[in-house]
Parts: sequence; C-alpha cells; structure tokens
Amino acid sequence: MPVLLGAEETRETFAGLETWQIVLWYCLIGVSVAIFALGVTRLVLKYRRGRTRTPIGSPRERALRTARIVATHAWIRRRDPFSGLAHLLVFYGFLVLFTGTAILAFQDDFAEPVLGFDFWKGWFYLGYSLFLDVFGFALVVGLVVFAVKRGLLRPFRLSYWRPIEPAPPLAREAKVYRVGDWVFLGSLFFLALTGFLLESFRIAADDPDFEVWAPFGWLVGQAFIGLGFEGAAAESARATIWWVHGVFALFWVSSIPFTKAVHMLTAPAGVAVKDERAGSTLLPLPPDAKPEEVGYATIDALAPKHLLNLDACTKCGKCHAACPATASGYPLSPRDLVLDLREVAEGALGNRAALGIPPRFPEHADILGTIRPETLWSCMQCMACVEICPVGIEHVPIINQMRRALVERGEMDGQLQQTLETIHTSGNSFGEAKRKRARWAKELDFEVKDIRKERAELLWFVGDYASFDPRNQKVTQALARILRSAGVDFGILYDGERTAGNDVRRAGEEGLWSSLAEENIETISGCRFDRILTTDPHTFNTLKNEYPQLGGSWTVLHHSQLLLELLESGRLAPRKGLGYRVTYHDPCTLGRYNGVYEEPRQVLAAAGCELVEMPRNRDNSFCCGAGGGRIWMKELRAEDAQRPSESRIDEAVGLGAIDYFVVTCPKDVTMYEDAIKTSGHQDEIELREMSELLLESLALDP
Amino acid sequence: MKIVVCVKQVGALGDEVEFTEDERDVDPDYLDHALNEWDSYATEEALRVRDAAGDGEVVVVSAGDEDAEDAMRRALAMGADRGVRVWSQELAGADPITMARALAEVVRGESPDLVLCGVQSSDAVQAATGTALAELLGLPRVAVVTKLELGDGTATVHRELEGGLVDVVEVDTPCLLTIQTGINEPRYATLRAIKQAEQKEVEVREAGELGAPAARVRNMFVPPKGEGAEMIGGSSAEIARRIKEIVDERTAG
Repeated sequence: MPVLLGAEETRETFAGLETWQIVLWYCLIGVSVAIFALGVTRLVLKYRRGRTRTPIGSPRERALRTARIVATHAWIRRRDPFSGLAHLLVFYGFLVLFTGTAILAFQDDFAEPVLGFDFWKGWFYLGYSLFLDVFGFALVVGLVVFAVKRGLLRPFRLSYWRPIEPAPPLAREAKVYRVGDWVFLGSLFFLALTGFLLESFRIAADDPDFEVWAPFGWLVGQAFIGLGFEGAAAESARATIWWVHGVFALFWVSSIPFTKAVHMLTAPAGVAVKDERAGSTLLPLPPDAKPEEVGYATIDALAPKHLLNLDACTKCGKCHAACPATASGYPLSPRDLVLDLREVAEGALGNRAALGIPPRFPEHADILGTIRPETLWSCMQCMACVEICPVGIEHVPIINQMRRALVERGEMDGQLQQTLETIHTSGNSFGEAKRKRARWAKELDFEVKDIRKERAELLWFVGDYASFDPRNQKVTQALARILRSAGVDFGILYDGERTAGNDVRRAGEEGLWSSLAEENIETISGCRFDRILTTDPHTFNTLKNEYPQLGGSWTVLHHSQLLLELLESGRLAPRKGLGYRVTYHDPCTLGRYNGVYEEPRQVLAAAGCELVEMPRNRDNSFCCGAGGGRIWMKELRAEDAQRPSESRIDEAVGLGAIDYFVVTCPKDVTMYEDAIKTSGHQDEIELREMSELLLESLALDP
Repeated sequence: MKIVVCVKQVGALGDEVEFTEDERDVDPDYLDHALNEWDSYATEEALRVRDAAGDGEVVVVSAGDEDAEDAMRRALAMGADRGVRVWSQELAGADPITMARALAEVVRGESPDLVLCGVQSSDAVQAATGTALAELLGLPRVAVVTKLELGDGTATVHRELEGGLVDVVEVDTPCLLTIQTGINEPRYATLRAIKQAEQKEVEVREAGELGAPAARVRNMFVPPKGEGAEMIGGSSAEIARRIKEIVDERTAG
C-alpha cells in the first residue's frame, strides 16, 4: 500500500477531552512546574550556603566544553563504552521525547493560537512521528541494558560494598540506594511504556495509513488490531492511558530535583564547574582565616561547587573501582565519602533544614565528627577518582580541605606529625643535616655547579628522595652523568634547597607548605638560570603549578621531558639498543596531575626497550600508595589486603617475561624496590629508573 | 589558674660535629634548633590544666637570646597565652643554677598557681634547672612527673621511678613539677598557628643580678674511641661480611 505524503496528516492533541479536563490538565502542568521550580530553587539555595570561594574561569569556554562533553558523553563512555552507549540511548531518547513534547506545546499554545501558524501536520508531522518513535525505542533499549547490568551482570562497582566497617551512623543502607536505583529505572521504563501504549491504542482505534511513520507504535497497534482489540475498545483504553501517561509524566518531572533524576541537572552543572587544575593546584587558604575557618570542618565550609558535586553523584562506582585505597582495604571509598557527605549536607542544609526539621543525627553539620579521620588519611591524593568521575566530582580537593581542618585541630597520625615537625626543623623529610643534601654529587668525577654562585642553563631542584635515599642517589648520579655527556650546563642549590612541599600540602599542612615554598622561592629567585629541572614528579607539580601562587613562576621540566628534548635534538645519541622487555608505571603526579604520559615512553623507545603496557596505564595508572603524604603515615590497610605497590608488581609480573619495571619518580623507586621484595618477585622482575636505562644505552666511554 | 611553663630552645646535633675555637661549645653551624622535647610535654600539660579549669593563663618563660623566641613561638602556637623572655650576655653558656636565678626573678613576678618545667633539656641534659628554680622560689617540687591531677590546694602526681615503679605523691600547690615525656601527646602546632603566634605578646626583660656562676665549661670534645671498638666501613655487603667474620671468630672454639 503506497503511503502518500499529504498536507493533512496530523492528530488532535486533546482528542476526546472535555473543556474542564483540558483546564485541569493545564492546572496539573502548573503544579508540576511549580514543584520542579521549588526543588531547583532549594538546591540553589543549599549550594549558595557554601562558604569557600573557588576560581570561576571563562564562562564561555566552560559552556562550550560542557556542551561538548555532555553531547558526546565523552566522560561517561570512558573505561565502560557499553554502559556509555546505553546511557547515550537513554539520554538522547529522553531528550528527543522531551523536546518533541515541548514543540507540540509550542505549536498548540503559541504558534497556532497566537501566530495562526499551524506546522504540526503533513511532512513535519510524519517526520516528527518517526523521530520520536525511534528515539523512544532507543530509550527503552538503553533502559533494558541498564536493568540487565544491574540485575544480572552486577559488576563490582555497582555493588554497595563498603570498605569501612562500621559505616558512619548516618550512612544510608545499600538497600535504600538499591531501591532508589530501581525506582528510577522503573519509572523511566513506565514512562516509555505508557507512551508507546498510548500511541499503539490510538493507532489501533483509527488505523490511519500514515501512522506507519511511527514504526514501533504502528507494529504494536497492528498487533492489537490482529488480536481484535480495535475501534471503541481501543479508543477507551487510549483515553485512560492518556491520563496515566500524562499525569505520571508530570509527576516524574516534578520529582526530578528530589530523586536520583536530579543528576540530569547536577551532572552537567558539575561538568561545567569542574576545574581541571583543582587537584594539581590546590587553593590557598584565605590569609586571615580563623582556626575554625581552616579547611572543611563543617559542611557549610564547602565550596558551592563541592556541595553541588555531592548531589551530582549517580553512584556509578567508577571512582570506587579506580581507588587504590579501596582496592587495598583502606577504610576509604571515594564514592561512599561523597554519599556520606551528601547525607551530611542534606541534614544540615537541605530540605529538612529548610523546613526546620531537626537532622537525623545531631552532629550532622560537623563533618569531621561524621567522617572518620582514618578515612581521610587513607587517601593517596592520586586523582584516580577525579580523573574518571563522569560528573566532575572533585573528591581529592574535598579530602584535602578536610585534612587541612584535621591538621588545624592537631588530629593526625603520630608519624605524620613527627615528619612534619622534622621537615619544619631540618627542611627535609629525612631529618638529615642540610649539608648532606648534595653528598651524592661528591661521588661524581666532575664538579657540580653551585647555582647560587654561578649561572647555569638549568637549575636542578633535586628533591628529598633523590638527594638522601641511597638507592635514589644512584639514579640521581646516572642523570648527572647523562647531562654531563650531553654538555648540559646545570647547577644545584646544595644546602640551600628545602623540601618543595607538594606532599606536605597534600597532607593538609598548608602553612608549612607556604613557608617551605617562600624559602625556596627566595633562594631560587637569587639564582640565574633559564629553566628548572627535577626528577621528582611531586616536586615538579608544586614548583610548576603552585609556586606561582606565591610569586615563583618559572619553566619547570621533568627529566623525561628534558631527556626527550636532548634525544630529539641529537645532543644524546644512544649507541646500544638494549632490547629489554620493560613495562612503565605512570606516576600519578606526572601523569594524571600534569598529563605527561608520552615523554618517558619515547625515551625508553630511544634506549631500545620494548615497552609492554600494564592493563592499568596512563590516566588509569594505579598509585604506588605513597602519595598525599601516605609515605609518612602508619599503615591503614586491612590485614589481609595487598599493598597497592604489591598489587602493581603482580600486574607487571602478570605480563610475563618482563625484564624491568621502569619508573620515573624517586618515591616509586623506594616503593617498588620494597614491593618487589615483599611480594616475592625478586627473581622475576627488577626495577630500573628510566635514566639508568638511558645511561646504559648511551654506552659512555669510561 | 595561672600556670608558668619554663621552656628552652635546644640545639640538635646531626651526625657531624665541630667545636668552637675555644673548645667550650659546639659550633652553632652544626646545630638545628627546636623546642626542647620535654618542654613541649610540659606546655601541653599546662594547656590541658588551663582548659580543664575553664579559665586561666599559660605564660611561657624562657631564658635565651632573640633566636630562642622561635621555641617560644612554638609553645605559643600550641595555645599558650603570652611569653616572657629574659636575657643578658652573662647568660650565654651559663650553668643551670645561674639560669634558674634568671628565671626565678620572672616567675616570682607572675605569682603562678603552678610552675611546670621539662625534666631536662635534650642538649645539656643536666636536669637541674627546674629543681634549682623550685628552691629559689621556695616552692615544693616533684621531679619526673608522669601524671598530674589537681585538687583543692593540692596536686596528686605520679613520679616515674626506676624499674617501672610509680611513686604517687600529694603535694601542696603552688608547686613546681618537672614533666617527663609521655605524660601526654603534645598537640601539633601548625605553621599557620606559629605565624599567627607572632601576634602574641612576648615581653623581653634584662636579667638582673645573677651572682657568681655555679659551674663553668672548661672543655668539650669527642671522647676518643675505645680500644675495644672496631669501626667497620665500606658497602653494606662488605660490612655484613666483616660482621660475619667477627661472629665466626668469636664463636669458634
């Protein structure tokens, strides 16, 4: 049967409705929109109660970036493209159906009555039908995928297993979350189902030829007709389902700000306010802060965007699956932390608070009384959670702010307290005498310039581990020999260098960081050089990103960047292809913090190494466990759990026949030398720092 | 409740040391400076007593030159209310009795309800200043205190004795106690608090008549290595090999 495109294909919006019913319908719309607006308003009011101010940046750039990320689902698709695709179906399905309804409302309530312009007919109507029908089907397919994933596949990250026992008293039970998830999925499914039924009943009642342009509805409609369900019976069913679908849709829309559906608003907002530098460049404290205003001690201290973050979480568990603390049985899960803080925020600042209902727990506003200190000290500030969060939650800066409050109250691990005091008195975390800092240079067969006295091309900021730790000193010496052979003019600060303070800052001791930074900035400012070099990614990060906050802005290089530069310009020429099979561990502060992924790999390639990647590489690199000051704290992991560094060595050994586990961070040298021994893999794998391999490949004349 | 805590800025040695030309003291270039460990416990105890009492004042007193204010700042950053530093050139390198005379003048003027000192300083290790100060002030004193409970006009304190024994003493207040490490966990003074402590008042006073010194340092030196000791040098492997040789030698026959 040929279907002709005519001018009159359309349908009546309010078919079969009495005037009073239409009036009632518009009243219901009004109520629904009012509840929605009320919900959104109280969210905005809640976020505005956050006290900490964060930089905003260019709104135009942010808007464009957000539009791109939301439209392409770039963040949602990462590391789970299948779920990403399902979400894409649901997202566009919902968006198209919603937009379709809005177009219809525009036609009925404005274009036609006011402008006399009736466009919802003919080819437009048919295209509209096809479009909505197909996207409605996509929505259903996406929902089914999600239901299968949750109900049958049940991946670890969607379980509500908590590493913290007992959970904080205000934590919601897993059951509550599970009910919420299914209600959300089920309600969307019900919405789609009643929509399709409505369409099919309408087609079964009239059976107009042109409705074949709504293929899925048409097929079901034909099936009804085939079963003899047509005409008046179908029409009466249509009238009922019209109200069911319509009222439920209005109810659903009004509930958005109050349920899991709120992420439709808060997630794009979270993406929009996410600061890509929030982890690598921590916010300074206001200079005049009173003790109780330091960090996040109470919920209203949070930045508005961090309060928004709490509501954006969809419990997808990607952070939970990526977190090295969670994986090693430390009492921390970034997801649970966010969910628990959300309860705190709701109790203190949310609806209940607005209505004057006392909080479920009296200590609600005091987050340090709710979240256990061990939870906060478990964090390695490795940024794995922030990196993968599809909705832009900044867990790491939030934890850092809470640590600041703990430090201010003096509530910290004894070992950490001692290390901070040692750093304060001696200027390094080893408690070594200043003059021993450059001792490694004595064993070289050439003199290293004192950059405080004479100018050099490069100021090499060596850092604590590379200066004092015996194993690392070998690496430091190897790099010095490489630089010497390439004719690089460099100098060091000798006893003038102090700990750069990256991890001091990440442990939450902001005052000590700024005092160290001020001293280093003063020393460095008195030197003449072009660029700064360091082998320590932690030092690299704070010098490059954070010292500018205190007036120290220089070009800072990690040695992998410099070595690649020297190789590319021909100043370094490897003479011996090593032919080793190696794997490379991305340091958190170099990779996720600063996006340096390729340079070390290219240096290894130049040295003639065959690089075999571990499953978790680049932005998914797995922290060694030392970051965020954890290297100075007592063990917090569960007794039966593996250390993160040991799990990493297992991962490398699992690749089979790997000669060397290659690192580019002094703390990694220490952590993995230990882990290779404690995990019992001494005979299978050895550790090398990248510079050591490059030096070997240069085959320098003795 | 007014509590005076006497604190000292001590010098901490690394593993290298040189002496001054007259060989009577350590070359200051080889020293890091810090608040004496025992005094940080005394300060913490004073803060706890003050906070438990609900009101009162903790006054930090130190005999030292301007550099010694760093240690006082640390005590102030922990929460002490104000400081008094007493100094005169004669106090440089002075003995504990002379130091106690300088301190006594200041402490007496404060009329405190309680005076706390550290048992000893980590650099000079004389353990005498506190006790001498009690004598000069005419206060009852208890040394090496590991627990303190304040009563009405009395204090019940635990004294640490040899062999893990504890002596429980009741003493009339005001009194002077020398505080042992481990009595509490001294709080961390954040660098921010240390900087803000610069706003707190530190009064500087010239020491009065100090009298004749009770003792003078004649000479300071590194004792010669004993005959019986053999210093083993070299790499870890070489050291281990030598230790094994020695053990084998001594255990053979």
